[in-house]
Amino acid sequence: MSAVDQVRVPQEPKFAGTIVKSVFFTPAGAIAVTVILLFAVIAIFAPWIAPHDPRAQSFLSVNAQPSSTYWLGTDQFGRDVLSRLIYGSRNSLIIGFLSPVFAALIGGTLGVLAGYFGGIIDRVVTRIIDMLMAFPELLLAILIAAALGGGFWNVVIVLTVAFTPGFARVARATTLSVKEEPYVEAAIAAGVRTPMIIVRHIVPNISAPIVVLLTLWTASAIRLEATLSFLGIGTQPPAASWGNIIREGLSNMFATSWPILTAGLAITIVVMAISIIGDTMRDALDPEIN
Amino acid sequence: MARYIFVRLLDSIPTIFLVFTLVFIALRILPGDPAIAVLGDYARPESIARFREQFGLNDPLWLQFLKFLKDMVTLNFGNSFTKGVPVMDLIKYNLPYTIELTIVAMLIGIAGGIPLGVWAAINRNKAPDVGFRTFSLIGYAIPDFYLGALLLIIFALNLGLFPITGAGSGFAERMHHIVLPATTLALLKIAFIGRLARTSLLEVLGKDFVRTARAKGAREPRVIYRHGLRNALMPLSTGLGLSVLSTLSGSVAVELVFNRPGLGRLLIDAISERDYPVIQAGIIIFASIVVVVNLLMEVVYALIDPRIRVK
Amino acid sequence: MTNLLEINDLCVEFGPAGHAIKVLHNVNLSIAHGEAVGLVGESGSGKSITSLSVLRLLSEPPGRITSGKIVFEGRNLLDLPRSDMPAIRGREIAMIFQEPMSSLNPVMTIGAQLSEAIMLHSEQNESQRKKRILELLKLVGIPEPEARLKQYPHEFSGGMRQRVMIAMSLACDPKLLIADEPTTALDVTIQAQVLDLLRQLRERVGMAVLLISHDLGVVADVCDRVVVMYAGHVVEDADIASLFDNPKHPYTRGLLSAVPSLSDTRERLYQIPGSVPAPGSVKRGCPFYDRCDLRKDICNNEMPPLHAHSSTHKAACWVTSSDAEAVSQSGVTT
Repeated sequence: MSAVDQVRVPQEPKFAGTIVKSVFFTPAGAIAVTVILLFAVIAIFAPWIAPHDPRAQSFLSVNAQPSSTYWLGTDQFGRDVLSRLIYGSRNSLIIGFLSPVFAALIGGTLGVLAGYFGGIIDRVVTRIIDMLMAFPELLLAILIAAALGGGFWNVVIVLTVAFTPGFARVARATTLSVKEEPYVEAAIAAGVRTPMIIVRHIVPNISAPIVVLLTLWTASAIRLEATLSFLGIGTQPPAASWGNIIREGLSNMFATSWPILTAGLAITIVVMAISIIGDTMRDALDPEIN
Repeated sequence: MARYIFVRLLDSIPTIFLVFTLVFIALRILPGDPAIAVLGDYARPESIARFREQFGLNDPLWLQFLKFLKDMVTLNFGNSFTKGVPVMDLIKYNLPYTIELTIVAMLIGIAGGIPLGVWAAINRNKAPDVGFRTFSLIGYAIPDFYLGALLLIIFALNLGLFPITGAGSGFAERMHHIVLPATTLALLKIAFIGRLARTSLLEVLGKDFVRTARAKGAREPRVIYRHGLRNALMPLSTGLGLSVLSTLSGSVAVELVFNRPGLGRLLIDAISERDYPVIQAGIIIFASIVVVVNLLMEVVYALIDPRIRVK
Repeated sequence: MTNLLEINDLCVEFGPAGHAIKVLHNVNLSIAHGEAVGLVGESGSGKSITSLSVLRLLSEPPGRITSGKIVFEGRNLLDLPRSDMPAIRGREIAMIFQEPMSSLNPVMTIGAQLSEAIMLHSEQNESQRKKRILELLKLVGIPEPEARLKQYPHEFSGGMRQRVMIAMSLACDPKLLIADEPTTALDVTIQAQVLDLLRQLRERVGMAVLLISHDLGVVADVCDRVVVMYAGHVVEDADIASLFDNPKHPYTRGLLSAVPSLSDTRERLYQIPGSVPAPGSVKRGCPFYDRCDLRKDICNNEMPPLHAHSSTHKAACWVTSSDAEAVSQSGVTT
């Protein structure tokens, strides 16, 4: 092992792990985490929890009111609302969690490379990021979804593209500031090779803001997927997603409003819980006047 | 100052160009033959050939792209595939409704949001502030279409106070129809703008010159408004620009919920019908509005901030 | 003759009611009419907090004045309702701060800000105010004042901005000017100019000044008397000459030794070993104990009281006080 590898570097105090742990210290944070875990359990164990097949239609019990068989009633196709809600959580949550992660990986890499190497790569990447970020996410998503159509993976692609610029920008900014830190300059001067520097020094230090952003944008992603599904360009029926449950429920509004009310409530609660977690983490990262 | 605006204007051109390129690529290169999409899977080969000839789909891509650019710049959007009428007519009909909705929602949002935000900032961490922050949290989480559907169900369906669909004709009726959709968007605006106002004001109130103002003997209201809010206007103006953009995108879903005509509605319907000329036009118009709003945002900021205005 | 300002046993705490930390311990300070007093100490000594307390500009959460009196012209300011303070600020007592860069409102013209200072406390009309403003700008040495009125703070240099701040503070002829580190953020040459200005103004206008600084040199330039603070306590209070010739507190001696001079032949600059204790960490005894080379056991157990070495020289130190007593008892004069 060369002397270079034995260089001890002081770690930044605001490490990703510390931030995550801080969430549990606030009552709101703890409740939010519990709620999310609850939903996660429901989504994972959907086949065991759902009382009926979400796609099973029954023309005998169309638009039924809540009863002991159908806890939340049925929709216009006679499908059990509760089961659709439970299965819907899978699509809504998985797409919501997956897309920001992809976006963080791609965007983060782009941002770090742009920030670290500078020069033409930086200028081009920044330009593209700025242009993309000038657009509201929804419009960007609509454009891409218009071309690709709906469906699970298409939506994942759409959302990933929508969030990548944001991650790239933050990764780049943090990389730029970390690059100026004395210990990085020392490492470079000592001859540590570039990939090593990036992995050992840059990445750990951008992990905290990336984690915060990841959380906050998971909330946005879930909302965005719901909106796309509502507009008809997201998750396609008969697959259930909280967004398209509301879409179908809207045209059926006069008969029963349970699908709309419950699906929307689910979205709101989940997004709120994730936002609370994200906000708590962000405050731990950068205690502001809030 | 004029130079600043000019430079910003020049800056927007590459963005518009990027949008044109993306739209072109999205609709031509990605899978799906428009001829089949419009004429159906069982269309005769001759019809398909004629369709492709008519819409220039057989020309080399670069030629198509140039024609496309020329058309876009001269606002020649062609005719709708599915409706047959000039796309421009469709836009002229629908765009005003969207603009109307956006403006009303923004006005209510600003009128409600800024005072609430200031009130919350002044009473930091006390009851009004906590209440507002909770409201704001919900406002950020609730999907716009859900809120719209809720309002629709409660006020139109069950209470019958408002019409369920459409936009109405004549001023009074249009105002009546716009209440629920605009309120939906406005509530979310109030949450966003209010939160922004609160944060900006709190940040400014922590600055040194505010301390100087107090040391001079200024009373609290003067400190908050003349010194605090006046300086908070700058970040607020940027936020307002973003808010306009988000209202615009929110209007798409709200138009669907309330069955209102509008640009968003037009676009979404066109997407499901694969009506390419309309999709193209819709996206480009939306994108242009976005670019213009961004530009305006920067200009307003430059006007308010003397550090930029007075070089 | 009564003093213009008397701070008696001022105690200030920071933090939530249960776990508050005391940051000012029985601070006593007085300023006579027209007198210039310097308040000296390192960061964390409590000098800024003391000065902010006079005008009650402390952020009330988390800060809190727990006991003591601040008597200005016979009135205890702490007894007044908070709403009465704006009438005093700027008019009877004015204050200027350390960062001229950020202490002026960036979106208001200089003219408007100066005008505001006058308007807040008088009924003068616009042209009267303008006349007064131009007078003030000339007084503080700003060239071409007419043209400057419509300019914004970012168009001024640091030194100029500080002069504007001074002009603003003088607008209503206050009896006392509190200057909190007015030159710290400025270059040395500008620093000299601003101090010059303060001295001239004092001579011309007869205003009392409380000059706060961590730099003894700055204070020596302008002040008649100096009060030295350490960790929230007043440790020495003396007229300028006595302080420099014959400091009675080990901390003051340390500060004076640390000032390099051209005739210095030492190889390394002197530095008081150790560092300032964190607020609330010293439970009893003299806060300087850990760094003091004269320390005795009693210093660790009990806080020394201010001992009057002469009518104009007080110091809070067991060792030097008992030395002084021993000396006076033995009949030898110093």
